[in-house]
Amino acid sequence: MIIDRIDFRLANDLAELEPLVRALDCFGEAVALPPKTAHRLTLAIDEFVNNAVDYGYPDHRQGEITVSIRHRVEHLEIVIADDGDAFDPLTAPAPDLSGSIEERRIGGLGVHLVRTLATSFAYRREDGRNVVTLALALDA
Amino acid sequence: MQIDRFVEKNVVITTVKGRLDSSTSPKLDAFMAAIPDGSSVLLLDFAELTYISSAGLRVVLKAAKLAKGSGVVLAICGLIPPVHEVFDVSGFSTLIPIHPNRDAALATLA
Repeated sequence: MIIDRIDFRLANDLAELEPLVRALDCFGEAVALPPKTAHRLTLAIDEFVNNAVDYGYPDHRQGEITVSIRHRVEHLEIVIADDGDAFDPLTAPAPDLSGSIEERRIGGLGVHLVRTLATSFAYRREDGRNVVTLALALDA
Repeated sequence: MQIDRFVEKNVVITTVKGRLDSSTSPKLDAFMAAIPDGSSVLLLDFAELTYISSAGLRVVLKAAKLAKGSGVVLAICGLIPPVHEVFDVSGFSTLIPIHPNRDAALATLA
């Protein structure tokens, strides 16, 4: 059987990540994702769920994060949505990748990695939710 | 994640097995916080590292900064292609010496 879609609904709690990662590994094996695509998939979801949990709910309210993956012919389509405070990752400053070890700033790489590894990337604020949509190549 | 450390000549080798992400990276961070006395080279053997996120990169950069400040070389070996890709995209490949495997690293560093 071909799994062509998979959906997750998570609380804004990092403890949700471990079972999610296991499920992504199973999905990757079931649809035989190339190793780089499988790694990019986990990375994209890991980075954005971490960001949402860490920065989206400064008042510690309960929140909901949804992740959906569609297996298309030539790419994976991923939608990550959270009801945290508005955050447009496209406005995040690009890290300076050129400095020496002493000059390189620690942190700030997550959004950069995902934007660079995705073939398309979009953000919208919709009904009080941050919605990130991205595509990953299947021929990586 | 499993971390092991052993010494070969002047090289302190740290092997990391499993995933380096926001939940596991503090363990490596604590492990790399002190440089063993008398070592001149720190080698991170990532041959069995299956996954790295920005949280893992953060710990690697921190360790590289600490080594540099202490006059110690930090190098990496054994990256699988999906992990190597993350090092490339982050610009770390030009910052930290990366060797294909442990033997190649030791041939250069030991």
